[in-house]
Amino acid sequence: MVEKCFIPTSLAEALEIRKETKARPLAGGTDLMVQYKQGQGITPVFPWPVMIISSIGELRGIEKGEDGSVLIRALTTPYEIANCQDVPYPVREAASRMGAVALRNSATIGGNIGNASPKGDLPQPLILLDATVVLKSLDGDREVLLDDFILGSKKTDLRDDEIIYAVRIPKVEYTHVFYRKIGTRRANAISKLSLSCLIRVEDGAVTDFRASSGAAGPKVIRSRETEAILKGRRLEDVKSLIPEVLDGWNRAISPHAMPEYRRNTTRRMLEHFLLESVSASSECIIH
Amino acid sequence: MIEFVLNGRQVRFSGNPLTRLIDVLREDFGLTGTKEGCGEGECGACSVLRNGKLTTSCLIPVGAVCGDEIVTIEGLRETEQGKCLIDCFAEAGAVQCGFCIPGMVMAAQALLLCNSHPDEDDVRLAISGNICRCTGYDLIVDAIIMASEKGAGLW
Repeated sequence: MVEKCFIPTSLAEALEIRKETKARPLAGGTDLMVQYKQGQGITPVFPWPVMIISSIGELRGIEKGEDGSVLIRALTTPYEIANCQDVPYPVREAASRMGAVALRNSATIGGNIGNASPKGDLPQPLILLDATVVLKSLDGDREVLLDDFILGSKKTDLRDDEIIYAVRIPKVEYTHVFYRKIGTRRANAISKLSLSCLIRVEDGAVTDFRASSGAAGPKVIRSRETEAILKGRRLEDVKSLIPEVLDGWNRAISPHAMPEYRRNTTRRMLEHFLLESVSASSECIIH
Repeated sequence: MIEFVLNGRQVRFSGNPLTRLIDVLREDFGLTGTKEGCGEGECGACSVLRNGKLTTSCLIPVGAVCGDEIVTIEGLRETEQGKCLIDCFAEAGAVQCGFCIPGMVMAAQALLLCNSHPDEDDVRLAISGNICRCTGYDLIVDAIIMASEKGAGLW
């Protein structure tokens, strides 16, 4: 079988190839080259045409918008994201804990989203921040909420003539923020569980509260219903509302394996974040 | 036709662009210093430098390195930096079976290129993607710190 493989050097060329052949983009290779490997000395075999997009300069880089949003183009690596102060804390933190040094130099944000693994590290904090995905095709651009774009485990809403161009993170104000990834060891660990939380306290009132869970169901979990429990409440009332929040969150997540462990640990992290936020005197990162 | 710079020389590869870089290095260019351990990017034995940054060559298709600069252990050992690292690994007794060492040396080089005076934590983070089943890492960490001291000015 002669496999089709294209190496476009511009976005325009890539979009043409995508439309004509439905070839799927391959960027860092850190997921796909493992998934379709054949063994030592043997070239990986893919069940569809492939285009290697790693040399397309238009798909690189991070840009800060005038409205405070941050645009991260698809080929940006976790190393670049982790080292860019314009990127919000939980996303930077997640990027800095992906794999180990070499993987962080090769993997891409576009790949991490397109692969849509429930254990992918970047979608979780991005969904917390209501990030959108910018998709390009010869017919034009489309921008959708990442939470809507990822449909489930390994499933996205990507059309077969589209390419993931970038992720846009809107400006989100918060006073306290938290990110934690739980893996079997510090390097090269696939997430067993991850959680991001943020809260915004203004004049003693909670004006925003969000949480998102990774690896606790087929896709990243937000629960607007649970988040609403704290919104608009006085800070001093938060402590007494924690059981209600934990209960709501417990119902929202749907761990596929070791559900008891995942539920307990998620509840403990969420409780820790809320208790620490209530007692913290000023804006801070909760560890 | 895929063209890239390998250990300072312009090279060409005309086979399948999806061929893994490690296979091209070992099979087509005879550079067998780069080892394959897990083949999944987990062990770091196949680490090379791509444009000065550490990369696992088992995960990257050769078609993705067009125009890039690749350095393997064979290229590094010809440089003053490489010689210093190799001497320090020997002096510190950091090598037992040796299988992980080319990857370890590449990881050390990647670290020293961006941080010429690393502390122990920096070194441990830099080699956190490289697995060694013999040494328990301590002597490797010593070797890298020794290189940063003895090779002062090289990086």
